[in-house]
Amino acid sequence: MKVVQKKICLMGDFAVGKTSLVRRFVEGRFDEKYLSTIGVAVSRRTLSRDGYTLNLLIWDLVGGNELSHRETGYLAGTAGAIVVCDLTRPNTLETLQRYVHQVRVSNPQAALLLVGNKADLVAERMIDDEQLMAVSQALRTEYFLTSAKTGQAVEEAFNYLADRLETIYDPSTP
Amino acid sequence: MGFISVPELDASSHDIDPMRPDGDEFLLAAVQSILLRRERQRIHELEQEVLALRAAFRDKEISQQQHTDILEAELKLTRRALRNAEERVRELELEVAKLRQRAQLDSEGLMARLLPVFGNLVSRRIRESREEMAEALGPVMGEAIRVQIRESREDMVEALSPVIGETVQRAVAVFFRDLQRNVDAQLRATFGPQGAWRTLRARLRGVSPAELALRDALPYEIRELFVIQHGSGLLLARYEGAEEQTADSDLISGMLTAVRDFVRDSFQPTDDGQGNLDELQYGNLRVLVQNGRSAYVAVVLCGIEPPGFRARAQQLVDDLHVRYESALRAYAGDPESLPDLQPLLASFVTSVARGQETAVVRKLSSGQKAFLAGGALMSILFLGVACFYLQFTIALYPIAFPSSTPTYAATATNSATPTPTFTPTVTYTPTPTFTPSSTSTPTSTATPTATPTATPTFTPSNTPTPSHTPTQTPTPTATGTPTSTPTPPGAQTAGNVWVRDAPDVNARLIAAIEFDTPLTLISVSGSWAEVEWVSTLPWLPGVQRGWVPFSWIALRADVLPITATATSSATPQR
Repeated sequence: MKVVQKKICLMGDFAVGKTSLVRRFVEGRFDEKYLSTIGVAVSRRTLSRDGYTLNLLIWDLVGGNELSHRETGYLAGTAGAIVVCDLTRPNTLETLQRYVHQVRVSNPQAALLLVGNKADLVAERMIDDEQLMAVSQALRTEYFLTSAKTGQAVEEAFNYLADRLETIYDPSTP
Repeated sequence: MGFISVPELDASSHDIDPMRPDGDEFLLAAVQSILLRRERQRIHELEQEVLALRAAFRDKEISQQQHTDILEAELKLTRRALRNAEERVRELELEVAKLRQRAQLDSEGLMARLLPVFGNLVSRRIRESREEMAEALGPVMGEAIRVQIRESREDMVEALSPVIGETVQRAVAVFFRDLQRNVDAQLRATFGPQGAWRTLRARLRGVSPAELALRDALPYEIRELFVIQHGSGLLLARYEGAEEQTADSDLISGMLTAVRDFVRDSFQPTDDGQGNLDELQYGNLRVLVQNGRSAYVAVVLCGIEPPGFRARAQQLVDDLHVRYESALRAYAGDPESLPDLQPLLASFVTSVARGQETAVVRKLSSGQKAFLAGGALMSILFLGVACFYLQFTIALYPIAFPSSTPTYAATATNSATPTPTFTPTVTYTPTPTFTPSSTSTPTSTATPTATPTATPTFTPSNTPTPSHTPTQTPTPTATGTPTSTPTPPGAQTAGNVWVRDAPDVNARLIAAIEFDTPLTLISVSGSWAEVEWVSTLPWLPGVQRGWVPFSWIALRADVLPITATATSSATPQR
């Protein structure tokens, strides 16, 4: 069966749960310990698609308010991106626009997805659905409420992005 | 509804007697019975159902009662068992307390009793599920070894040294076996063009050819080879070495690209690409990176790569770009859009493994270029001077050396056996002349003993080579008239010999000359030589001249080798 490789990036402010999302999606586990990512961490998950196998290479980029030249270099050749905010920290939603801009500068056709993580912390939630919907409409993408801790909607989010990759990405584009 | 049909009324009328005194009441009752017949029937049915339900209820009640009885019995049993268990727990607690007390009092004895049990349990567990035990004990073992090394390093060294020594010995043996194999291969190529090229390279680099051959022979192995797209880090192609690798090549290519980008951006890259990551090293593995425009090649190898390896890797990158650059650049993860790169990679690995010199031209340093240029210039100058000198020599040769004057190159050896071998190529013809034989074997039966015999050879130049094989016959076959007077050659007697006044055994005896008397060779006639010597005899003082058999004359090394000897059967005359 044909194996197709796609590179996607996870972006967002520090400690929003990017690495935890990747760990949940790739390894199916969650770790309470927080270790800040240095530079980038690359993971892989193979998904069985209709008629082919999708080799999803997930680049978990360093968290920060704004990516430096070095980090934007990591976006080269990316087919899609997941921008992540922390539902308990409203400021993490405000910065997503910049991340999306950087992704689109690198690849205008990149598939995008907005994820509000830490949905399990219901009592501490500071970002409501209306705010998320407004931002997602502004970014022209969908949004998912996920929890890396409980696994809520993690698979669905990545699978949604995989579907988007399949539909919008044009391989002939350099 | 509410309508009464006539047949019904008729059907019911046969039960009514209108002549009875209570006929109205009866009729009313009959009408009621007719009108309420259905309800009564329904009431009857309901009563029947009630009865049936009561019966069913009774049955169910009975079964419930039975079930309740059973449950109560079970409950009693469970309570009893619980009481027993509680009693058992209390007993066990008492036993544990006693054991604990005993353990505190007699810990060593308890250990001695428990150890075999635990030992057997562990052994059994290891036998039954070795992998689980390994997983469980692995981290503990690592930590235990670290603690042991920290706390009693010497004990660990003593314990491990035999194992480590054997391991190192085996590794070294493998290394030297590979080295020996490679050295053998290098030696086989020593006398070929590659050997000459290696020698030249060694000289240019200031090392000995042996050192360079050893350097070339150092074993190495290509473990893996990756072709990776720039930027995205997507793996374009991969070549596996002999050992199957288990690492995730996709992750390797991604992280390698990330590290490469990190290094490039962190250390102020220059525009000419000099800031790229060239090499990573981990243990005995190294990752050599060779960059291209759209893709780069990463070679994972073990050992020390031979000289020229990088140039060949760069050639591979160039070939990939020349043939497939557009495909490499446009690759977006779909393998069908990518050409088959495996043949190119396999060709590279094969050529590198064979150590063949490809068409890659090594870039020489400026010093090497200057050395080569100087060497070439000096060679041209030397060649020019040599040509000039040769021409000059040829032009002046007839003047400096007349044609009749041969040049001599004589080698005299003393031999106890007078078996001289002469290979003349010219006829030396002082007066009188003779023709020596080319190769002569003395057939003389009168072999003088204990007398040194010269074995002269000479190679005169600028003189014709005789076209025939001269014989030993003392017949002059060639004559020459030198334009200059040759210096009579010196000689000495090879023994005590008679001197006669003519070249004939019957000629008159002049005197006897003692062994080793210096002579001056005047002329040669057949097997006779005319000589001069200084006589010390009282009746014959001063310089004298006479004929002696030639075989009794030993020519000195610095004189003309007279080659006529050999087949003469001259008998020494005393």
